[in-house]
Amino acid sequence: MLHLQPHNLLIQKTLSEAIEAYNKGAPITLDRIVSDFDYATFHISDSEQDKSILHLSIRTKAWQSVSSLGRGILAYLQDKYDKLPGVSTLQPPESGYDYTMRINLAELSTDSIIHISLLKIIIMSHAFQLAFDENAKLAELPEGRQDSSTVHVVQYRDDENIYIKPSGDRITVIFETIFQGETDKVFGKVFLQEFVDARKRNRSIQSVPQVLFSHEPPLEIAAVLPSNSISEKSKRFITFVLFPRHFATPELQLSSVCQLALFRNYFHYHIKCSKAYMHTRMRHRVDSFIKVLNRAKVDVDEDEHENNRRTISGRKMVY
Amino acid sequence: MSYLNNHAVVMDNGTGLTKLGFAGNDSPSWIFPTAIATAQPSNSSGKSTGGGNTSSQSQANTSSGVIGSYFGNSTSATSFNNFASSLLLSNNLAGKRGTEDLDFYIGNEALTAAQGPAYSLSYPIKHGQVENWNHMERFWENSIFKYLRTEPEDHFFLLTEPPLNPPENREQVAEIFFESFNCAGLYIAVQAVLALAASWTSSKVTDRSLTGTVIDSGDGVTHVIPVAEGYVIGSAIKNIPIAGRDITLFIQSLLRERGEVDTSLKTAERIKQEYCYVCPDIVKEFNKFDRDVGKFSQFIIENQGKTQKKIVDVGYERFLAPEIFFNPEIASSDFLTPLPTIVDHTIQACPIDVRKGLYSNIVLSGGSTMFKDFGRRLQRDLRSIVNDRIAQSELLSGTKSTGVDVQVISHRRQRNAVWFGGSLLAQTAEFKSYCHTKRDYEEYGPEIVRNFSLFNML
Repeated sequence: MLHLQPHNLLIQKTLSEAIEAYNKGAPITLDRIVSDFDYATFHISDSEQDKSILHLSIRTKAWQSVSSLGRGILAYLQDKYDKLPGVSTLQPPESGYDYTMRINLAELSTDSIIHISLLKIIIMSHAFQLAFDENAKLAELPEGRQDSSTVHVVQYRDDENIYIKPSGDRITVIFETIFQGETDKVFGKVFLQEFVDARKRNRSIQSVPQVLFSHEPPLEIAAVLPSNSISEKSKRFITFVLFPRHFATPELQLSSVCQLALFRNYFHYHIKCSKAYMHTRMRHRVDSFIKVLNRAKVDVDEDEHENNRRTISGRKMVY
Repeated sequence: MSYLNNHAVVMDNGTGLTKLGFAGNDSPSWIFPTAIATAQPSNSSGKSTGGGNTSSQSQANTSSGVIGSYFGNSTSATSFNNFASSLLLSNNLAGKRGTEDLDFYIGNEALTAAQGPAYSLSYPIKHGQVENWNHMERFWENSIFKYLRTEPEDHFFLLTEPPLNPPENREQVAEIFFESFNCAGLYIAVQAVLALAASWTSSKVTDRSLTGTVIDSGDGVTHVIPVAEGYVIGSAIKNIPIAGRDITLFIQSLLRERGEVDTSLKTAERIKQEYCYVCPDIVKEFNKFDRDVGKFSQFIIENQGKTQKKIVDVGYERFLAPEIFFNPEIASSDFLTPLPTIVDHTIQACPIDVRKGLYSNIVLSGGSTMFKDFGRRLQRDLRSIVNDRIAQSELLSGTKSTGVDVQVISHRRQRNAVWFGGSLLAQTAEFKSYCHTKRDYEEYGPEIVRNFSLFNML
């Protein structure tokens, strides 16, 4: 099915190739650009002196807003990556990029490749991680004082942000979306309504996070929302309410974050797939109508005309 | 507008292979077969009726029966068969159809999936042109989102088309890219022109002109395409039915005649890629082989566990196989014109004022032109044809000719020349001003893509 994997397939492939080539003794020269959703760009290059060293740099829109949160994104990424064999953070990062990691092909294990190809999501997960931690702290406070005014904002696209609001018993994640085309807007509305209704209708998925959809900014984020947004009218808000069972263990946390971070892409992907399906149907319908029309054509009997005389062999006379 | 900072996406959808990647890279990020494996219609409709609720089934059956008789004798051109289409036309669409349209694989995954019974494989591009738009649309959507991981709204796209592609096809492409994908901007380039641009990396090329003859040899067919100032001279294009697959088959037949231990197509292909080269003279080369045993090689096939070894001798086919371009009579009996002669005919069919430019810039593209010394041999043979003609005309007219320079250019990017040319052009700063944007499309409609301004690079 059309499931988008959280990790970047291309980085995974490139690194696997690089390791394989290195182990064969013929390291490949790399200087490649790889892109990911939401204006993320990776640059994989090898260092000129030592063929066993690769540099992987990332530039992403979300970096700006995430970097200042908590202890800082660098410390977070170092926690995540420096424990992998053969991977270390490079300071300062490559010019034009936000973060660079140094990969030693001789030491890199194949398991770490998948972690590296998750880099973009890991950067975004920083904000989520802070919310998870805060939730744990708030949950220990007595009832009634579990609210906190913190809202983490991840500016992951030009006009679209993610707002994450932790509180004692839940974490609220609010997506702000904007649609480019009118058609997309309609499709999007149908899909979002489906998201909201699915939980009500289907008993077997009662444990999923609650989804709300509104045109008005939800109250949770009213305080932090910039009031002079340009296209306030065309914005939609999708709210996911995560309950403690969605982030009880680190594995659950990661999978929740992956799914949330990919939500917008997945959503737009499916809008596009539906459009493609509509086009398929339209083509099919047009084809069938053309066939009906062709069958309805009346053959003009040409011999009726006076000027159409034929020779004995059946050929037409041309005047 | 931050999409201006994003790298453009270059997509070259060929008959056999699709090359995908980002502008500025030196090689495509993904190369996979242009194949799509879709769920078999009979299977999926069976599944959906089985899963459907029983209460609406009887009613749906009657309604589909009525409509079915109305559309009964329509043989659909789309992927749906009659049974499925009659189901589709019944009024309860949501209940009838699941998500079969989302159930497909592309590329290598498609080849794997098609080995099972649930999927059927199809190639949406035939002879360079898109045949099945439904499949192609889904192929694109999966390659953009799954493989390239890009949001099409943020990127410009450079697509390729074969020479003589009808403008209606371009419009279809534009409709899909702007309406389904909302892509930021689109440029559709002719493959031969991109192959010319790719040759600019060669040190032999001094001026970056878009005039030249492109010899594009892939797996199925070889084209000779003259391009003048970025425009393809359509009337002069010639095709040769000799290409990569024929060479492989020829090697296979030689191996079989000799009774080698392994004569599979795969072995023949590996031998072609690793050992073959073009020689200046066959007779001399035969003698060289007979005198020097070191010329013969051995191709060793190991099975997966590296426990068994098969040894295949590689002999004269090293130089005989690519020779079928220059002496087709050794392999086939129905096509007998050598490649240099075809190139000469092509250029002679062009307007006289561009012929000199076409002779002096003959560019190779495609995997089957990768043989060592292929360019050199072509240049020598062609030069002798041209010189003979000049000598003849000098003899007849009694005047002195200024001479015609024949130059064949080979370069390192030959294999993916079209893609590489696209990457080269799309990374320039001006590229985005040559594209048609989504706004242009909405203003003028699909016919806007009938014309693209050419890159005039200096």
